[in-house]
Amino acid sequence: MSETSHGADRRRLSGHSIVRSRHFRYLLAAAVIGLLPLVFTTSYWRTNLILCAINVMLAIGLDFVLGYAGQLNLGQSAFYGIGAYASTLLVTKLGIPFWAAFALGTVMAGAAGALLSLFAVRLRGHYLAIASLGFAVITYQILLNWISLTQGPLGIYAIPPPPPIALPWLPRIPFTNLANFFYLTASLALIVYFLLDQMLRSPIGETLAAIREDEISAASLGINAPKWKAFAFAASSAVAGAAGCFYAPFVGTLVPDAFFVTESFAILAMVIVGGMGTLIGPAFGAIFITLLPEVLRSIGDLRLILYGASVTLVVLFMPGGIMQAWRLVRQRLFFFAEESAT
Amino acid sequence: MTASATSHIDIAAPLLQVQGLSKSYGGVRAVRDISLAISSGTVFAVIGPNGAGKSTLLNLLSGLHQPDDGTIRFAGVELVGMPPHLRARHGLARTFQKIRLFKQLSVLENVLVGYHTRHAIPPWQYLLHGAAFQQERRRCREQAIDLLEFVGLSHRASIAAGALSYGEQRLLEIARALATAPRLLMVDEPAAGLNTTEVAALLLRITNLRARGITVVMVEHNMNLVMTVADRILVMDYGQFLFEGTPSEVQCHPKVISAYLGADVP
Repeated sequence: MSETSHGADRRRLSGHSIVRSRHFRYLLAAAVIGLLPLVFTTSYWRTNLILCAINVMLAIGLDFVLGYAGQLNLGQSAFYGIGAYASTLLVTKLGIPFWAAFALGTVMAGAAGALLSLFAVRLRGHYLAIASLGFAVITYQILLNWISLTQGPLGIYAIPPPPPIALPWLPRIPFTNLANFFYLTASLALIVYFLLDQMLRSPIGETLAAIREDEISAASLGINAPKWKAFAFAASSAVAGAAGCFYAPFVGTLVPDAFFVTESFAILAMVIVGGMGTLIGPAFGAIFITLLPEVLRSIGDLRLILYGASVTLVVLFMPGGIMQAWRLVRQRLFFFAEESAT
Repeated sequence: MTASATSHIDIAAPLLQVQGLSKSYGGVRAVRDISLAISSGTVFAVIGPNGAGKSTLLNLLSGLHQPDDGTIRFAGVELVGMPPHLRARHGLARTFQKIRLFKQLSVLENVLVGYHTRHAIPPWQYLLHGAAFQQERRRCREQAIDLLEFVGLSHRASIAAGALSYGEQRLLEIARALATAPRLLMVDEPAAGLNTTEVAALLLRITNLRARGITVVMVEHNMNLVMTVADRILVMDYGQFLFEGTPSEVQCHPKVISAYLGADVP
């Protein structure tokens, strides 16, 4: 019964078909990205914008494997770190061009993710969570203790920004200023979002959901679950690796603490607060979780309590996160619109 | 690959041939030395009292469990040791006694998952949806709706599978299994939870599948359905072979009657 009224909602809403079309939404996102650095002109806010773009990538990457394929992967901080360290070391030690290092760092993080998926073949739910957490701890320890390669806790300093892009007929675009760096990371986040969205709207989306819902059924339909889990892990961790490739030249220094396991939980919070199993939800969740502590900065240390409390409240009372809240609001608005029309 | 593997097999050979199949769980011998041969395009029913090992037999055939002993040849291919997803690719499909739908997905999406092995889209079009992709998606949706039409669920296509009634969920499992274009469909108690009218409709559908050349293996308790639709019937008791024959042979066989009614064999 509720299903039919839901269907009716959809039909009525299709009146605003332009607003609801995907093309429009991507154009809107591009326009917002274009305007943001013009609105936020201080380097403080522009830095936060870049962090938002990086965290959006981390969150939608995790959502791909968690919200769609249903694999609780707490190794995201490790893949983020692998991407950051691999690309940086390739640039600083081997002198490889940034974009080649970016590609290699992404691939290496993806390969590490595929490797971790071997655990996901045997382990489920909490057990997989613990195994992936172990992987994150081990990776952190390696970054910390392989001093000859990573310089351990001393960190890697003076990481150069990506080289300027020189497109024909256009002025050179340097990435030494924050606005351009934001455009770079946000464009990449938008492209990653688009690619994940496309895959999820293809049979791949149904395949991953089938594995999440019932692996035995999925196998009876010819789905090779281990292979597709490896794919989901690889895609998810490659996205985290790509984010890491941008994090390093953005901050300019790399220390292992940036990729401690707590980062995995922060990314998980973004996905849950946003609403897992939707792609747009975790994107907003990432922005929310990144900016909330900054917005609350004026109230001092109390902000950490408020931050923790608000995340807990969302999980307790709104398990579908921001997306659930949005659906509720839309339904209410819609209900009133209907009332006034009749 | 499948075509070349099947082209040189004898037409007269049965589609599925099982030899000496056995499976124990701990001390329980669920299936003991079962042999059977199922011809292509027939309906083969497996009956027996509760705990006779019927579902275990289906689980061994579909690859959910591996047998302790015995062989399973399907269209000239040995299935023992082969994982379930590869058996599905060889044309073996099944439904489950305890319903295993993708509950959060819509009814239509459940069927669409069944097309997993049959997509022919260039890999890059999964990222950039081109004309071939759109065409393939449209084709699958149309076929999936046809399958839902076949089981009488097309009016429920967009609701969550978990919201269907028990009987509807059983029918959806059949539609989903058919999406894999199977040569042999195994249905585990398809009539459970259906009323008399629905059972009559199910009977027509199974006859229809046979007419399309799909071999059906059916585990079922509804004797009216079994006796009407089955070409051959295997009777199992305590994991063992009791009798195999046509419905009329089964109905008057003394061993079968004693297994069901508990009477002593005269």
